[in-house]
Amino acid sequence: MSDEFALDPELLQDFLTECGELLQQLDEDMVSLETSPEDEELLNRIFRAVHTIKGTSGFMGFTSVVELTHQAEDVLNLLRHRERKVTRHTMDVLLAVSDQLGVMMEDIREQRDASYDLSTLLAQLKEIEEGHDPSFPVSAPQPADAVPGPSPASASVSPVVQKAAEPTAAATAPAAMPAQTAASAEPADHAQGGGSRKAAAAANEGDRTIRVNVGKLDELINLVGELVLERNRVLQISREVASLGIPDSVRSALNQATARLSFITGELQTASLKTRMVPVETLFRRFPRMVRDISKALGKDVDLLITGEETEIDRNVVEGIADPLVHLIRNSLDHGIETPDLREANGKPATGRLHIDASQQGDHIVILVQDDGKGMDPERIAKKAMEKGLVTAERLRTMSEREILDLIFQPGFSTAEKVSDVSGRGVGMDVVRTNLKKLNGTVEVDSELGQGATVRLMLPLTLAILPVLLVQAEEDVYAVPLRTVVEIVRVDRESIHRMDGAEIMRLRDEVFPLRHLRALLGHPPADATADSLRVVIMAIGERKIGLVVDQWLGQEETVIKSLGSYLGHVDGMAGATISGDGRVRLILDPAVIAGSLRSPQR
Amino acid sequence: MQEYGTHTQANGRKNDKHRAAIPMIQLVSFHLAGEEYALDILRVQEIIRTQELTRVPNSPAFVEGVINLRGRVIPVVGLRKRFGLDPIPADKHTRIVVVEVHGTVVGLVVDSVSEVLRIATDTIAPPPRLGKVEREYIQGVGKLENRLLLLLDVDHLLSGQEQDQVGHVTRSNDEEEEEQS
Repeated sequence: MSDEFALDPELLQDFLTECGELLQQLDEDMVSLETSPEDEELLNRIFRAVHTIKGTSGFMGFTSVVELTHQAEDVLNLLRHRERKVTRHTMDVLLAVSDQLGVMMEDIREQRDASYDLSTLLAQLKEIEEGHDPSFPVSAPQPADAVPGPSPASASVSPVVQKAAEPTAAATAPAAMPAQTAASAEPADHAQGGGSRKAAAAANEGDRTIRVNVGKLDELINLVGELVLERNRVLQISREVASLGIPDSVRSALNQATARLSFITGELQTASLKTRMVPVETLFRRFPRMVRDISKALGKDVDLLITGEETEIDRNVVEGIADPLVHLIRNSLDHGIETPDLREANGKPATGRLHIDASQQGDHIVILVQDDGKGMDPERIAKKAMEKGLVTAERLRTMSEREILDLIFQPGFSTAEKVSDVSGRGVGMDVVRTNLKKLNGTVEVDSELGQGATVRLMLPLTLAILPVLLVQAEEDVYAVPLRTVVEIVRVDRESIHRMDGAEIMRLRDEVFPLRHLRALLGHPPADATADSLRVVIMAIGERKIGLVVDQWLGQEETVIKSLGSYLGHVDGMAGATISGDGRVRLILDPAVIAGSLRSPQR
Repeated sequence: MQEYGTHTQANGRKNDKHRAAIPMIQLVSFHLAGEEYALDILRVQEIIRTQELTRVPNSPAFVEGVINLRGRVIPVVGLRKRFGLDPIPADKHTRIVVVEVHGTVVGLVVDSVSEVLRIATDTIAPPPRLGKVEREYIQGVGKLENRLLLLLDVDHLLSGQEQDQVGHVTRSNDEEEEEQS
């Protein structure tokens, strides 16, 4: 191929860009085709993409690419004319073609002079073209499936349906089974519905959108953030002015103007934030292919169900959760979902189920990764955590099951090779938590032994605004993220007790550990003669604590600012913000406040 | 003072004619505990009056706090504390010199700011034997008529060992915290 590199570099660049985009689209389309094999539009698009790659490669003189795409095109042509069926084997081969093309493009980009052995792929394509599909009898074992147009999706669902239909099966696996069936049958419908909806949406929006550099949006949002701060300041000043002796008419005009300013600024902020929101679909899109490849490599049968992909989330948040999600999905596939024979032996459907769901709950986005695998064993996690010295036997006795499951997020809990035989989970779960923390999010796990596990990610809708509660310690004012605040209470000294050297308080029927803000900040303790304490009850994940402060000062909407690289990370602080009066307030890091309690006692 | 500065500049220009090869630098000079220091003007972003600082717990003692500089949160370092000199309360002469170091903006609290002046680089001598700490942050000494200017090495002042010290302070606070709980 060497002499082709003498080509015009600009032309080559254009070629690579175009092919790169086409290949990515091809990958996505092919995976969707597996779930909706009847989608003609999809088939045509795949065919056109391959055809275009063939055409331009021919022009550029990349003969190996032409050879491969030519043969693939033949197969696709038969598929779109309904002369061959879309089977799992066909898709495997076509995806392999797409991967091979990716390798070739990379070689061209790097100007590597590579030669390829395409004989296997070409032979496989030829076989399909001639009508030999080795997978046919495998993927369609039931005569019923041999009717025209069997889809892989329906093929994988049907065994489940049949099993549920047998009364004996339903009797051995009570309740769970019908639910399984209903859920497993859903993906096919959903995917098809999603596909056509997507196509329609794309057609409508085609010429109604423009591409904008994210940097510009960030700048706009930052400026609006500044405006919000100034508005807060104006509101505060106008309140002060209103309390002075001014004529009623002026006061009412001032009130009207500030109310209007406040409203418009709020709307402007919401509107500008929306410009940076993207559907989580952009992130979820890569999962079908990933799940398919991983489960295949592990010899597991997995139905992936994706719901709520239209949920919108700040683009900056999306970037931050991509890695944790990939991690969680791998974990579920690798350690959660069992092999088909093991599942059948346990009375579960052979096909495992992985459900990824996104939804908006108030000002939070909740993402669930749920599998119906073997779940997590709290006893084994507890044992493991003890061996690792993360927790004492004493402490374990007082821990709830959820708190024990939570141990998997402790750094040092997992070392890859051992964990997979012990809990089967936890590989790098602390990394997941750390990443989520950076986004002001939380992660929790829920598991029912033998029935599966659910990991729940809670994320703020946006990183741009943070509602806070202002509290005081000595003469300093700090901000507590409002999402962690459950309530504020005044507590009598009598209802505070000491247990194992730690202070706890009782409120109604609950008991909370207490933490003093002054102590956290290294300030001297407050005068101990007061007979009541001001406490902020905070919930951090599933954990609730009481934070003792000198005074509560009210609520504010703030914009988070970094403390800058000079100070770097300051212990206990999540960042800084600028208050309505223009002063800098430090934001307390709730995780540190809770975490300092969690550290094992020595 | 203004007159003096102009005089110096004129002087400088005259010198230029005779010794064109000698480059000039522009400096901002300020006072700290009776000594006159100077900073390369290119490093100085602006000079502001002191304002209410927000203390930052668990940070080194010489970090006086953070301020709001037109919507940006910037740390402020007390130069007296940094050099181990006795702190004095802020008065009407106290200024914060805002400098940029390695892309970060930091404020330096000084007793007062005096003037902007130009000196020829060949009048700058290597630092004399001062106290150990001080010498580390002094690039050189500028001779100007009958005055001595200590040229501050901002890069050195706000990086390197500095960062170690920040880390160290945070760590020792941790230990205290754990002992308490």
